[in-house]
Amino acid sequence: MARRSAGAGSAARREAGAHRVPRRSAVEWFRRALASENIVLLLAFAFFAAALPFAPELASPDNLQSLFLSVLPLLAITLGQTIVLITGGIDLSLTSTMALSSVAGASIMTRESGPFAGSWAVPGGLCAMLLVGAAVGLLNGLGVTLLGMPPFIVTLATMMTVSGLAIWSTHSASIAGLPAAFVAIGSGTVGPIPAPVLVVIPLALAVHLLLSRTLIGQWMYAVGHSSRVALVSGVPVRRVTVAAYVAGGLCATVAAALYTARLETGMPTLGRELLLDVIGAAVVGGTSLFGGRGKVTGTLFGVVLFAVVARTLDLCGLQHYTIMMVKGSIILLAAALDLARRRVTGGF
Amino acid sequence: MRRLFFLAMAGYVGAMLVSCQKREAKPVIAVAFDTLQTEYWVASIDALRSEIESRGAEMIQAVADNDANRQLEQVQGFIARRVEGIIIAPKDARAVLPMIKAANKAGIPVVLYNRPPAEDVGTSVTVVADNFEITRATVSYMCEQARAAGGGHKAMILIGDLGDVNAIGRRDGFDAAVKEHAGAIEVVARVPTEWNQEKALAGVTNALQEHPDISFIFTSSDFLLPSIVSALRGAGKYRKAGEAGHVLLGGFDGDATAYQMLVDGYLDADGVQNVYYECAQAVQAVFDLRAGKPVPPIIRDPGLVIHRGNLDEAKAQMWGANVRPR
Repeated sequence: MARRSAGAGSAARREAGAHRVPRRSAVEWFRRALASENIVLLLAFAFFAAALPFAPELASPDNLQSLFLSVLPLLAITLGQTIVLITGGIDLSLTSTMALSSVAGASIMTRESGPFAGSWAVPGGLCAMLLVGAAVGLLNGLGVTLLGMPPFIVTLATMMTVSGLAIWSTHSASIAGLPAAFVAIGSGTVGPIPAPVLVVIPLALAVHLLLSRTLIGQWMYAVGHSSRVALVSGVPVRRVTVAAYVAGGLCATVAAALYTARLETGMPTLGRELLLDVIGAAVVGGTSLFGGRGKVTGTLFGVVLFAVVARTLDLCGLQHYTIMMVKGSIILLAAALDLARRRVTGGF
Repeated sequence: MRRLFFLAMAGYVGAMLVSCQKREAKPVIAVAFDTLQTEYWVASIDALRSEIESRGAEMIQAVADNDANRQLEQVQGFIARRVEGIIIAPKDARAVLPMIKAANKAGIPVVLYNRPPAEDVGTSVTVVADNFEITRATVSYMCEQARAAGGGHKAMILIGDLGDVNAIGRRDGFDAAVKEHAGAIEVVARVPTEWNQEKALAGVTNALQEHPDISFIFTSSDFLLPSIVSALRGAGKYRKAGEAGHVLLGGFDGDATAYQMLVDGYLDADGVQNVYYECAQAVQAVFDLRAGKPVPPIIRDPGLVIHRGNLDEAKAQMWGANVRPR
């Protein structure tokens, strides 16, 4: 009897459930979409699709190619910020590191005499840029670990110092006349493939492998979750932190090389207004400002969202003030969706 | 509540997108500005819109917020959209070169507004005020006033962002005038502002404390005048011309604040860029280039020095006289 009534009850539930199928599936679909790690990318596509009827040129091959290429340097520098954020730090000096790298490399590449003139100009300039990125990253890392000061303060100080150094060393003048071989890094192609793709995609893969497949990558997450627990567990917290800032500086250098090559100019003010985009794209892509969480794919999606929104709004014919308000709203929406996703998936 | 928030946000973004007006079959002229940070740029973009629309075309705009790379991407976007012409107020005289090359390659006319390219890399037209010359003339006028008042004035200059070629031109124009009028003034303070009002206020306040005898101030942009006024008031030195202790005051741009200060007698001279002339010339150049007409590579705005002596006859050329002061 009991079995019979249980069977009858479940049949009734099935029947009732059959009536609710459409509602359940819609809710389930929404829940699944929300739970997806690709929610930021979905939002970017949704925004792009919604804007398409109003600006059909968005889908033109020229625009898509130009949009794709604009994502790459921003991705390079945002990867650097992602690494630092994962360890629980923040690097405000990344954009000024770009500026100093830009003028250091450009000044070497435009010298008419000396050891780096001629065929050594481009390798010499690139080495100088990497050296600047690594040195500033090292300075930040040592400042944070040895002085025990908050990363915000250390990197803020570095940002101001490095930015001042870039302007002072050039007397505010940008440096043009870069070698064609260097300019090709930003706008040339290797066969059918744009050169920046061959720079940034390997970088993104390398950072992905670093974070997901190496011990130091796991240590970075551990330091970001809790540096004390990591220290007790035997993680060399100081070295890991310093390594994160150096890696961030090197990523900034890669971005500097691409931006400088594209503009054909070394600029002491390069990327001065880019910092909020860099932090914003990383955070919107799911990297935590408090450390311990972040992925290369998330950062890529965050950067894509920023680039798509900016390009779409520019081509829509809106006024600048409206563009700023819409951009801010979309970023807030993306961050709120990410928050909701974490609650749905139990990410907290 | 949370759902309501998401719906509200989505609705807002949707409404904004819907406000992207469907375009009619009008020629589209794109305007890429470096910034809208000051009244000058806002007045310029409004004047450009008015000029473009008066010719039956549509204007789309993008502002790079002082980022040369963002500006390059915006221009690439305009090129991909196949606009009829592009007017660029460049962030940097050298960084604009790839933009000119890209526009030339696409066969789209390109006009530079307010800043010339560093070198000739293709076909472009520049409409520009002579920052050096207008500043030199303005400061020379002030120096003559200083000499007439007895000379030996202690002077201060507020310098703009030294990553900006206009700021450099104005600084150099100031230095040239000072050199020409040796003995009239002695420069005791050079305040770097980075085009930031708060930094200007702090810098001027500190300079007035260090040199209380400063009696001559030139600012590289009028939008910093409120900071100077605030600092002078704090030091008890904000007085009209003719009153004892008046500080000789000069600026550059010709904005609404400067106009009102000239009318009220607090400002002695202002270097004015003629926005209406420059914008009309820029738009005309785009249409002439589209029509294949010859256009000179540089169209210069001679500008003018405006002071209380010529205010009535010259104010029609001062764009700040036609906008409401802040």
